[in-house]
Amino acid sequence: MRVTGGTEPTLDQLAGDAAVVRLYRQVFAVLARESGAMIADSGMLDVDEAILDAFADAGREGLTLDQAVAACRPLDARLVTRRFEVLREYGAISKVVDRPNERFHRAAFAPYVMLLFLRRMAEQGGQAELHQLLTLEHVNVQEPDATAEVGRTSVSRLSRIFRHLGNELAILAAGSTAETLGDHAQLLWGNKSLITQAEHVHAVVIERWPQLHGECATLRLALAAYGDAVETAAGRLIEQAGTTRALGLLPVETWVSFARGSDADTLAGVLDGFVFDAPAPWFSPHQLTEAVESGRQTGGARQPPPRPEAGAAPPPETTVAPADDADHLRDLAERLLGDTTSVPVTEVLDDSGDWPAARRVLADLTALHHHPDLPYELVWSDGLRIDVTASPSWTSHGSLVRVADAEAEK
Amino acid sequence: MSDDDALWWARLRSGGPRPVSPDSAYPAGVRRLVEPDAGAVWLVPDLPDGARPDVLDELGLPGAHVDQRGDTARVLAACLRCCWTEPSGPVWPGVGAQLDDVATAFRSITDNRDERALHAALLGAVRRLAGSGWLIFDEDQRVVRLGPRVAMWNAAELSSLRELWRSMPR
Repeated sequence: MRVTGGTEPTLDQLAGDAAVVRLYRQVFAVLARESGAMIADSGMLDVDEAILDAFADAGREGLTLDQAVAACRPLDARLVTRRFEVLREYGAISKVVDRPNERFHRAAFAPYVMLLFLRRMAEQGGQAELHQLLTLEHVNVQEPDATAEVGRTSVSRLSRIFRHLGNELAILAAGSTAETLGDHAQLLWGNKSLITQAEHVHAVVIERWPQLHGECATLRLALAAYGDAVETAAGRLIEQAGTTRALGLLPVETWVSFARGSDADTLAGVLDGFVFDAPAPWFSPHQLTEAVESGRQTGGARQPPPRPEAGAAPPPETTVAPADDADHLRDLAERLLGDTTSVPVTEVLDDSGDWPAARRVLADLTALHHHPDLPYELVWSDGLRIDVTASPSWTSHGSLVRVADAEAEK
Repeated sequence: MSDDDALWWARLRSGGPRPVSPDSAYPAGVRRLVEPDAGAVWLVPDLPDGARPDVLDELGLPGAHVDQRGDTARVLAACLRCCWTEPSGPVWPGVGAQLDDVATAFRSITDNRDERALHAALLGAVRRLAGSGWLIFDEDQRVVRLGPRVAMWNAAELSSLRELWRSMPR
């Protein structure tokens, strides 16, 4: 929701807005959650600023809610009302005189200063403020009439700041993706001069109040931890950039505008200190193997080109009848049957002599029975001939029958 | 790294491997490849894994252009087959091989081109490879040796080259 309206925001503006909101949300999250009004976009921030501006212009009488809404006229009235309530709930705006029906309000200056600081910190990552804070602490502890208590609070404050910085960075470096790290880390790390400044404060304190060595040791630890966290985070980002050769450490727009806005010397200067390999070809074993394989393939199995089929086509082969022993079987059957239409199997087997020969005959009989074209079949009956002295010692009763005759008999 | 070393590195990487006299100083981080007759020493940069030329393949970028890449690679494979007599050992220095032997090995891994085309491809590829330090070619004696650049193959690459060596007919 953009209440300021106007032209479509550019990507840079959106990124800036997002940074402002992120910081604002961190700072005011607790308050806002309690009052049920989280800052959800930078438009709300603009509303806050407009309300506070209106109070600045109003002079010493203060403003009523309606006047404030009127002063912020281009903004949505309901939105202004809601933010007005929120600001009043956490004390940025309070009644001029604290009585039930008081309509005029006054604004405290601190929230406005806070807002200004927020905007600046979001733009510059808060490092300038940190530098100023460090300078202030340095001045504080150098005051001639400063007491040990001043030194103690100053040192413990610095320890806590650097602990915060170091912890956030270390957690990001350990647990988050490289993109998240790249997004957040620029707000946190930096610069050796932060540590140097803190060390100056530390040097003054330890010299003036040697009894504070415990607090000073804590500060030294915090500084070292921050330094380590910076190293770790930088190492991870560089490692990431090294494996992917990603140029994503800076936003694309930065690269593009650098490439567009630089003269030839600046562009060439990017490559100062780079040496390029001689343009020699590189042959990996994979390429060699592939080349040898492909050479073999074209050399080995060369297919003859397809021949034209005009006229010279060979005549189609004559159809070959499937091999069949029907004639042989028919002869056998006729020989066995003779004039009769049926002959007992036992008799046929007895005539054939020994069992191996009988077995061959039996196989032929079975083939006769199963052959689709031949009019013979085996008909088995229940009887069984047993003769312990013969070679097939038992034989089923059955007979070979000429089918056509059998049907004719019926 | 001293300025002197840096200069050496710049020379080696921009100019490719170069021979120096055996008693000359050499920078840190280069490999010295002594000629078989100990007459000269080739200096080859010892590159870490992430900075070798095959990085281009990983990135999908085209490397230096080679004319007739397939034939050139096949000729290099043939030379490797002829000059690397002890494939269980290091690839450098190898032995010299007659160009005719190389031609035989080359013919066995190429299609059946006629003799003249084969010879033209072979000679062109040998000269190209000699120009970039993969081979050392003595035109008068018609003897081919492996060049210093073969020493830049690492252990893993050498093992797959041994496979190739075994699979090639002599």
